[in-house]
Amino acid sequence: MHQPAGHDFDQDLARALAQGRDVPAPGFAERAVQAVRADRRQRRLVRWGSALTTAAACLLGVFVLTGGSEDALAQRARALAASDESSQLTDILGFADELAMLTPVVDRHAVVEVLINPDL
Amino acid sequence: MSPEELPPPEDEEDKRLMSLVASGDDDALRLLVHRHHARLVGYLRSEVGSQATAEELAMEVFIRLHRASSRWRPEAKLTTYLIHIAHNLVLNEWRRRGRKPTSALESAPEPGDLSHDSTRRVTELDEAFRQAVALLPAEQRTAILLLVQQEMPYEEIAAVMEAPVSSVKTWIHRARTRLRELLKDYYGPA
Repeated sequence: MHQPAGHDFDQDLARALAQGRDVPAPGFAERAVQAVRADRRQRRLVRWGSALTTAAACLLGVFVLTGGSEDALAQRARALAASDESSQLTDILGFADELAMLTPVVDRHAVVEVLINPDL
Repeated sequence: MSPEELPPPEDEEDKRLMSLVASGDDDALRLLVHRHHARLVGYLRSEVGSQATAEELAMEVFIRLHRASSRWRPEAKLTTYLIHIAHNLVLNEWRRRGRKPTSALESAPEPGDLSHDSTRRVTELDEAFRQAVALLPAEQRTAILLLVQQEMPYEEIAAVMEAPVSSVKTWIHRARTRLRELLKDYYGPA
């Protein structure tokens, strides 16, 4: 015969709480595995995204660092401009225009031809 | 457990399964979940008072266990580790809700209102106990649940709750005193 309830506090407490000790949830294991797989995929994506962002930041850093100071950048811009033939031609045409304005008798086309062709 | 005793075979099986989980074995994970989920859900339901929330939190426990599987060292029992993660999630849940969780037990009748019919008395007393435990302050409830329901030694409870053993003993003493007060109709004054 079991002891009547309300007689032994500790025994009653243990019995009451023991009833909630194991609560099986049907299908829980499968759902948990699915959740873990989804989490694994998500973390893999985040890792790749993070790696790509880091790589992009590194490339940008290398570009900025090798570019040097503002003076160096200005120098590079001037060098680029110097190698630009269309820019040089624009300068020549501008120079010819100025000569034509100063001395209207000068043939503008002849000036351009002389400047372009060093053999003349 | 005394130091002379060998670790139970369940612990060895847990270690074996955890090493397989760390290498990406989902079948081992499924087995591990199957072995531990009922106890975990039971503990969480006693803490948060809701089966659905308990299952959600238990799911999160296993996700976190999987994330940590490669770093896990079998220094403590896996059950202690799982309950530790679960306890932290319970604390987060309380913070998220902004207060101690209410439980379905709160709507149950007061102990003094219960019928004295002897055939229903055990069930009603059990309900009164669970109701009273739900009304305890958080630390006291967790400590008494881990001691009585989960049958953990004081040292493991201290590890789970990240507190000194002396604090655990104090919480348990206060919990017993408070429970006796709440159930004085059955046991007389504390």
